Amino acid sequence: MTPTPISAAPEAAVAMGGPFLFWVCAIIAVAGAVGMLVSRKAVHSALFVVMTMISIAVLYISLNAPFLGMVQVIVYTGAIMMLFVFVMMIVGVDASDSLVETLKGQRWLALGTAFAFAALLIIAISNGFGSIAPTGSIEAANAQYGGNVQGLAHLIFTRYVVAFEVTSALLIVAALGAMMLTFRERFAPKVSQEEMSIERFKRDKHPGNLPGAGTYARHNAVDTPALLPDGSVAHESVPNALIDRGSERAVNRADVDEVRTISEGFDYVDGDSVQLDEEEGQ
Amino acid sequence: MNPVEQSMIENEQTLTLFGHDPVWLSIIKVVGVFALLVILVLFTIWLERRVVSWMQQRIGPNRVGPQGLLQSLMDGFKLAFKEEIFPTAADKMVYILAPILSCVPAYMAWAVIPLGPEVSMFGVSTPLQVTDFPVALLYMFAIASMGIYGIVLAGWASGSTYPLLGGLRSSAQMISYEIAMGLSFVGVFLFAGTMSTSGIVNGQIDLWFGLMLIPSFVIYTIAMVGETNRAPFDLPEAESELVGGFHTEYSTMKFALFFLAEYINMLTVSAIATTLFLGGWRAPWPISLWDGANEGWFPIIWFLAKMFIFVFIFIWLRGTLPRYRYDQFMRFGWKVLIPASIAWILILAVIRTLDVEGTWSHTALIAIGCGVIFMLILFFVRSRVGKKERKKFVDEHPIERDYKPFAGGHPVPPLPGQHHVPVTRKSNVIEGTTEEVNEEVRGG
Amino acid sequence: MGAEYIPVLLLGALAFAFAVFSVTLATLTGPKRYNRAKRDAYECGIDPTPQPMGGGHFSIKYYLTAMLFIIFDIEIVFLYPWAVSFGLMGVFALVEVILFIVTVFCVYLFVWRRGGLEWD
Repeated sequence: MTPTPISAAPEAAVAMGGPFLFWVCAIIAVAGAVGMLVSRKAVHSALFVVMTMISIAVLYISLNAPFLGMVQVIVYTGAIMMLFVFVMMIVGVDASDSLVETLKGQRWLALGTAFAFAALLIIAISNGFGSIAPTGSIEAANAQYGGNVQGLAHLIFTRYVVAFEVTSALLIVAALGAMMLTFRERFAPKVSQEEMSIERFKRDKHPGNLPGAGTYARHNAVDTPALLPDGSVAHESVPNALIDRGSERAVNRADVDEVRTISEGFDYVDGDSVQLDEEEGQ
Repeated sequence: MNPVEQSMIENEQTLTLFGHDPVWLSIIKVVGVFALLVILVLFTIWLERRVVSWMQQRIGPNRVGPQGLLQSLMDGFKLAFKEEIFPTAADKMVYILAPILSCVPAYMAWAVIPLGPEVSMFGVSTPLQVTDFPVALLYMFAIASMGIYGIVLAGWASGSTYPLLGGLRSSAQMISYEIAMGLSFVGVFLFAGTMSTSGIVNGQIDLWFGLMLIPSFVIYTIAMVGETNRAPFDLPEAESELVGGFHTEYSTMKFALFFLAEYINMLTVSAIATTLFLGGWRAPWPISLWDGANEGWFPIIWFLAKMFIFVFIFIWLRGTLPRYRYDQFMRFGWKVLIPASIAWILILAVIRTLDVEGTWSHTALIAIGCGVIFMLILFFVRSRVGKKERKKFVDEHPIERDYKPFAGGHPVPPLPGQHHVPVTRKSNVIEGTTEEVNEEVRGG
Repeated sequence: MGAEYIPVLLLGALAFAFAVFSVTLATLTGPKRYNRAKRDAYECGIDPTPQPMGGGHFSIKYYLTAMLFIIFDIEIVFLYPWAVSFGLMGVFALVEVILFIVTVFCVYLFVWRRGGLEWD
């Protein structure tokens, strides 16, 4: 069987699919933006922004700018939106925004800015329809250096070299800001695991593991003290924080008796002690 | 024309093979990769259980099907017939969305993995790869960062403490190791001159990048274990600390999807390692002497064999190593892997320049400069100024030593340095049945 | 151009359909036995700790990690095109990139020295 070469039919299909893809992505992007505005929870808003970003990335790729499309996903959805999500977790899962406006005249300013922006957009787009002639297609630009990525590299590292180096300065500022916001002096010098174990053997009578909570008990909950094999209650098995909060549960007398009976070699039946058979006991 | 431009033209030629499949063939390839992944995941789960059992002197699953091979399939069926549980505190929409979000990118990553050379499929000549484009590895990187959303959202949407902690922890872990992973790719791009996976495989005809760029390979191998949350870096699932991590509150097929995504990711990073560093589908040396080794459908065997070497290493690590502590893990990622990969990139760039230009005078100078800068930097970092100042600050700012369980009105854990004050206990043993005792405690 | 990206969408659509099918499957096939305790948050048996309003129980280090991730992500995004077209650009680009890497590395060193990379 000889493989047959394929005609260039799919390219035509893609060219036909171009407007279709544009309309699908445009609708998703706008829906995401609207969803971001109307959703109550911050995490939902973030998810809608992710949706918008991805559909914009698909648009970039369909316009023969694959590098930009991928970078859009990597930097905006992968990194920046992830930072937003992290901040939401840190700020509080259920925290909703306070609706009190602290800035004076905020509404009017926002409205004015919105109108100015809309005017800018309209002027720009109408200009684009009329006077500006396209200077060259992206296909030609991509082909010049053998590909989209190579062409971009050429521009970044020759014509836009200053902008490129200034980016690193921008990154410095970002890191400095983050450090200033998050810097916290330690309460105490950090203790290493080695020091902790030495300290533990010096201090405690019981350097090994404490008994696990819930052993021999009728509950396996962490707030129920374990019963030791002789039936006594092991209070050490409940975490200290729970004891201090008063959350330690009481132990049933019957459970204590049961464990003690069993540990003495008797079978426990309805509160009566029955000696085990010799064979069964072994 | 210098050799670099020559190789670039070759890369372009490789890429022209893609994007010409008729739609029906694309659909066949896509469904084929999907089915292959499902089978490989079921096989890998079985393999992991059997190999770990073998390492622990047990037998492992051997009942369902020959050698227990159908065990994972049956486990999957069982999960489908389990009860659906929606936690009361869960955000239902995101709770359902999270497993989908972790599963879809996992599958999508395989769109650019090259499984073999050009073959004839139903009379049409086509490469054994769903697709490829000039930014294929950038796409992998983007897909990897999308997969994190599934985890962090699962943790958030469950409305429970352990999943939230686990989700945040594992996403922080994944982004940390993603950097080292991304940096280790740079070396490969420097020598391959392309980001397309088929081009990278073609660049390794003479010598595998894994042998040429050993540091990149080592860094990638470590980062891929961290990236997939596998032992010894399986902190998100540290049972002793976080129960099940982000998927604690998940049941039925939603849990199965997380499980599936985890195993596909493991296969994906193994496949990338194979493609980037071990020559992809090309036959290893003794076999490559046979002329037909790199033609037709055979290469898929070499590819899977190489990939399963990595999978076996994953399992081996799990059977051998204890889990890292979180601070050790982050320290290793940020303070060892990242500076090491950056230093290696600088060295590589200089070597590559020598390679291309053939002029030693400039570049040797740059090399020495880089070396000196890094020595200085390392010395600077190692020095321990600042410790004294910190000690002084601590002495001047004593903290409250006694632990207050309800400081600020909330149940809080003890702060570092605070001690539990022993309290005198009332006798905690009460007469009555277990239920009565519980009533009494809850009521009181 | 462009046709090579279509199979990606196809694979994504197939995976999405499979995931949605799996998620809805168990609702139809599984048993339904209501029990309030099942739907509580799982915390090893104790009554679920209420989520603190206003949060604040997470280490701020997560924020710093995400910020550093952005910085290195951008560095990687610049390094990739440079690495790919390395042979076409020569020493000038090499010097630029070394400058860039060293500048970003200074940030990293600063964060390191201030203890930003320490986890408790």
